[in-house]
Amino acid sequence: MDFRLGEAAERVRTEIRQFLEQEFSQTHRQQERDTGDGHNWSLYRKLADQGWVSAAWPKEFGGGGRDPYEMLALYWELSKAGFPWFGLLNNSFIGHTLMAMGSEQQKAELVPKIASGDIMVALGYTEPSSGSDVAAARTSARREQDHWVIEGQKMFTTTGHMAQYIFTLVRTDAKASKHRGLTMFLIPTDAPGVEIYPVHTMGGERTNSVFFGGVKIEDAQRVGEVNEGWAVVRFALGLEQAMGYADRQEALLEKAEQWALASTDNNSITTPDPRMEQQLGRMAANAEVARLLRYRSTWMQAEGMAQQTEGTMTKAFSAKVFLQDAQDWMDLMGPLALLEHGTENALSEGAFAEAYRATPVATIYGGTLEILYSLIGQMALKFPRNR
Amino acid sequence: MDLSLDESQRILQRSFSEFFARECPTELVRGSESTGFDETLWRRFCELGAAAMGLPQAYGGLDMGLFDLGLVAAQIGQSLAPLPFADVASAGRLLATLPDVDEALMTSIAEGTGLISLCDRSQELPGGNKVCLPNGAIVAKVITMQGEDLLLWDLEPQHATVANMGSGALAIHDLSLAVPRRLASGPQARMQFEHALAEWKLLVAAMQTGLAKKALEIGADYARTRIQFDVPIASFQAIAHPLAEAAAQVDGAELLWQQAAWSRANSAKRFLELASMALAFCSQVARHTSDVALHTHGGYGFTTEYDIQLFYRRSGAWSCYFGGVSNAYCEVARQRRANAMAGK
Repeated sequence: MDFRLGEAAERVRTEIRQFLEQEFSQTHRQQERDTGDGHNWSLYRKLADQGWVSAAWPKEFGGGGRDPYEMLALYWELSKAGFPWFGLLNNSFIGHTLMAMGSEQQKAELVPKIASGDIMVALGYTEPSSGSDVAAARTSARREQDHWVIEGQKMFTTTGHMAQYIFTLVRTDAKASKHRGLTMFLIPTDAPGVEIYPVHTMGGERTNSVFFGGVKIEDAQRVGEVNEGWAVVRFALGLEQAMGYADRQEALLEKAEQWALASTDNNSITTPDPRMEQQLGRMAANAEVARLLRYRSTWMQAEGMAQQTEGTMTKAFSAKVFLQDAQDWMDLMGPLALLEHGTENALSEGAFAEAYRATPVATIYGGTLEILYSLIGQMALKFPRNR
Repeated sequence: MDLSLDESQRILQRSFSEFFARECPTELVRGSESTGFDETLWRRFCELGAAAMGLPQAYGGLDMGLFDLGLVAAQIGQSLAPLPFADVASAGRLLATLPDVDEALMTSIAEGTGLISLCDRSQELPGGNKVCLPNGAIVAKVITMQGEDLLLWDLEPQHATVANMGSGALAIHDLSLAVPRRLASGPQARMQFEHALAEWKLLVAAMQTGLAKKALEIGADYARTRIQFDVPIASFQAIAHPLAEAAAQVDGAELLWQQAAWSRANSAKRFLELASMALAFCSQVARHTSDVALHTHGGYGFTTEYDIQLFYRRSGAWSCYFGGVSNAYCEVARQRRANAMAGK
């Protein structure tokens, strides 16, 4: 047995920490706090220049051929630092998907621009009336001569307002069964009829609601075959390792430990309030277990082992305890913890209030806890399908 | 990274799994409810070399590491085998690290005839010299740390167990009646004792994880086969989801004790922290999982006829050995803090 990520991954960790130290300034942090964009063009281009957008793509696709441990180290450090990394994450998956399933033209023209950080693509799966039931998408495309006309609406299109394209799941055959009538398109955000409106969240993110009103697009914007969109979505989703939040749990734990250390006598290993001590121990264990579950699915990915519900378990466990710990820690801190970042007397620069606001969505996006539990039940415990 | 067992570990795991499936059916567990021990089972267990596993070859041991002992402990938890393995293994390993060790005692431990235990502070009763040992009814000797002295005590033989929730061989001993032998003194001795206690905790964590795995299996089997409203109750989310949540926790518990055991030789700085963490988390998961599995059975789960209550009671009892889950979480926080301060 060996629980270490290995030297290559540790080198990535060091490199990314140095990058963050040098480039991710207080101004950038404040900018992200103010906008909630989840993406920063200047930082993104710098990461792209160093090959990080395409780092996970196979070398034969012009990618960096980085292994899953190196990718874990990259994502871990960015996420733990609160870096606006959604553009990077999504484009790593989308670029890889286009390489595998896109047209020759997309491979030749679009993919290099994604890799170089010149363009960024946002994900358009979710709709107002289809969240967990993603294959129930209603946004439609109808063929008119040599082009398509898109009508409909997407929801929670994070980074969409900064993207050049939206990777959009669209219904092209209303009569076919749910999964069979779908097609994937790359819709340019500057096409006439595309309207993007902000949706602000309690966690401070800006996401979007995107409307397509008779948007005309070329057939060349189609990814994969007509009515084969589900296969494209499945490929793209398959690249996403359900990562959970161990990195952010660790960040919260460290802030809590630093606070406890600063607020007690020197040279004592005992926290004066035993309730606080117990909660610190609990948070440490929950962060450790979330990390180990994530390491396990990363290890299986690296070894080419078929995964069943390992990623699902990682996400389900981590989301649940992250939310619980953020709430429980807040409960121990008293009213000063309510003060937001930038105010006088704020505890740990408002980190605990921020965690309290930011964690509820962990149990919702990327698969709600209920969807994840049903999957674990069906696959790991051989339960009948349940909804 | 490699999270798989190697060939010899797989063989070890399989042979003990088969051993307990054959030698420790539920009837045996139920038959030993009043004593918390089965002598024949212990003898057969020791014939496989189990008591010698973790000891150095110089004392007739097999020189195996803590990780391997954990694999055996997990099988004990899974089958609820009434054996003092964790206690004897951790105490024996402590003795083996001391100078001028009594060779006859070491040989008897390796053979399985010498039964010995450590005593954690949480097992000392308030206001006197009494200790409450998880396997006090069967161990003949106990090691304590008092002040700067590491002491070895002879216990009254054949001490009767007292009725207890977990049906263990729990017994209370009055040490004021005995005269201890000093084994070692000073900070080095204290550190060795702390590490031995941590090994004991880790083996209990592995037992709890084995117990939780089996409890989950029993609960999930029941959910798949019990029909209500014309369908298996596992088709209801209210039944399925708590079991699914427990499944993720059980996997996490296994990774956690395994990492803690691995850290003993590979990341020693964190060993004390990780052993307490494993004890806290795995105990919590075992208690919770057996509770969820029991609840899945409805009223039947509450009857003595069904096995799940055996798991529920033992997970609760084993959680109490070292002062409880919350206490173990506090220990984690203190050890992390001590590590952070030492790192400065």
